[in-house]
Amino acid sequence: MDRKDLTDNLNRLAAEPAYSAYAAVANVLEGIGPKASGMPLFKAAVLRNFTLDPIIPVIKGEIALAGFYPEIYLGGYDTIAQDVFEPKSALYGFEPDVVILVQWLEALSPALTVRFPSLSNGEVDAEIERIADFTEELVTALRKNIGAPVLLNNFPLPHRPALGIMDAQSENHQSHAIMKLNLELLRRMRKVRDVYLIDYMSLMARLGSGSGLDERYWHIGRAPIGKNALVPIGQEYGKFFRALHGKARKCLVLDCDNILWGGIIGEDGPEGIQLGSAYPGSCYQAFQREVLNLHDRGVILALCSKNNEADVLEVLRTNPDMVLREDNFSSLKIDWNDKVTNLMRIAEELNIGLDSMVFVDDSQFECDRVREELPQIAVLQLSSDPSTFCSRLCARAYFDTLTFSKEDRTRNRMYRDETKRKKLRSSSGSLEAYLAKLEMVAAVGAADEASIPRISQLTQKTNQFNLTTCRYTEGDIRAFAAGSKTGVYTVKLSDRISDMGLVGTAIVKYAGEAAEIDTFLLSCRAIGRGVEDALLTHVLNSAGAKGCSRVVGRYLATKKNAQVADFFKRKGFSLVNESERGSDWELQLKGRTFSGPSWIKSILIEPGLDYARQRSKT
Amino acid sequence: MRDNEAKLKQVLADIFGIDAGKVDETTSVDTVEKWDSLRHLNLVLALEEKFKVTLTEEQTVQILSYPLIIAVLGEHGVRF
Repeated sequence: MDRKDLTDNLNRLAAEPAYSAYAAVANVLEGIGPKASGMPLFKAAVLRNFTLDPIIPVIKGEIALAGFYPEIYLGGYDTIAQDVFEPKSALYGFEPDVVILVQWLEALSPALTVRFPSLSNGEVDAEIERIADFTEELVTALRKNIGAPVLLNNFPLPHRPALGIMDAQSENHQSHAIMKLNLELLRRMRKVRDVYLIDYMSLMARLGSGSGLDERYWHIGRAPIGKNALVPIGQEYGKFFRALHGKARKCLVLDCDNILWGGIIGEDGPEGIQLGSAYPGSCYQAFQREVLNLHDRGVILALCSKNNEADVLEVLRTNPDMVLREDNFSSLKIDWNDKVTNLMRIAEELNIGLDSMVFVDDSQFECDRVREELPQIAVLQLSSDPSTFCSRLCARAYFDTLTFSKEDRTRNRMYRDETKRKKLRSSSGSLEAYLAKLEMVAAVGAADEASIPRISQLTQKTNQFNLTTCRYTEGDIRAFAAGSKTGVYTVKLSDRISDMGLVGTAIVKYAGEAAEIDTFLLSCRAIGRGVEDALLTHVLNSAGAKGCSRVVGRYLATKKNAQVADFFKRKGFSLVNESERGSDWELQLKGRTFSGPSWIKSILIEPGLDYARQRSKT
Repeated sequence: MRDNEAKLKQVLADIFGIDAGKVDETTSVDTVEKWDSLRHLNLVLALEEKFKVTLTEEQTVQILSYPLIIAVLGEHGVRF
């Protein structure tokens, strides 16, 4: 046996994940040994309180599919505690990369499983507590002795609920007691670092406990997991192996025709494609929603399609049934170039590795080409029955990770917020009515220490709503804020949907009777709501309070800030000077007090208080 | 029929790490080195998966050679 046997068997396994194919891979791996395999070693310790041996070939195959050579330590039958609590045990001698801890509830708690009706409510709760305590002690001891992540199962719901139809009627009955136990496990495990739950409850529900469990083998050899569940459960562990080793993919590259919609745009025309709420167009729409969900989870999307670019763009931009739009994609390669070339270009453009990519196409030819030329890319051929596209895309869990970072979350939240605002907008008649419905609150005031990095960042990044486009460092801002002849003002915006934080800033220089607006800018997120008026009002009133009689404004033209060329004019300033470079403006205060737009509630922040609050948070 | 024969030989090859071409009437628990009790359980699972049958408890202990497997599968209507 050699590496070619291994490659052939792994390809066979990837194409058809049957139990016997896993067994074959496990045998080949054993035959060639770790050195000749050329794969890095991955050591998995499996601790169990029942017969789990039949799943080992599947675990081995999944580790090999993740690109590692599996080495397994299989703990003795029901010797978990001995292995875990003894610091010199064979388990710790093995130095595992991952610990798979599998407890079967029938073995752990005969009372909860087979003698449930004999228990009082109090005894049920005590039993839940006992199992949770024991499990927590196990993972805490594991964590103390080794750094390897622990994969811990929860418990399937009973196949035959103890009280029959009565069972579902009370939270003290068996099904709910096991749900409570599972929740308690979750709660306990969140306290321990690097412990992940393998959701046997959901897995068995999806498989059907009737076919996932096997009472014959439970009685013959304490092997309760049935033949139909061995592969899916092993694959579930495989998802964790990949995620734990950074093998999660980052980018989904999609073909268009017969993937995003039915039909071929070049033949049927942009109007003739199948997409919409009726079958079969609904299947493609559902697939697009699935892809959009991945996008929202932080997966980068790209298109790679042999088409006329204008045809595809027309659909992306104007077809009302499209779920995915042009701006969901980070790279578009719509031309008649070879797809292998285009995939390499996408990788280069997005600065990601080929092994981060998943390529989806309906064509056997294209899929084979990519498999042959760029074996690092995961290839998924989706053809025939489009109603199965979603589940086929999700089946291998290409993009599953064990973190959902702040960035991913923020991206999500901003997306959701925008959707909500759009909804609100479509249900409001006029723009003003919409703005009023947002219930905006603008907190205006002088800059505090905590805001300085953000203010500097805004002067560096803001191009559109920026009157003078002066770029300042944090040190510059701090000097302006502290100076006696200068002031830095900010506006923080929130509405009923979200808090957008600091969105605008103004820097003012005071010279005797005149206040000169050196910088006035607004983040593009906040444009079009009148929030600039709240900030300007504060600047004007502050100037008045400092005894100034006039405010001077300047517009310096750039390639990107044309939208504010007449800002001062709109706010009642008079033109003093105009040139190609820009314009100078002036406003006589005449002792007036100014007020902002009616739909924004302005509140004044006391800088000292705000500073103290920010400090106490950190 | 020939399909089933090839399928069965492949299952035995997969489970016991032997060459499918060398599986014949003499292949049994006595002649295959890796045919131990654990792999025997794997064999049952693989047979049930590939041939879409469920063996009785009695049958799971009977299938100790290639001819015996053919006989037991025959009882479930699988023809060779």
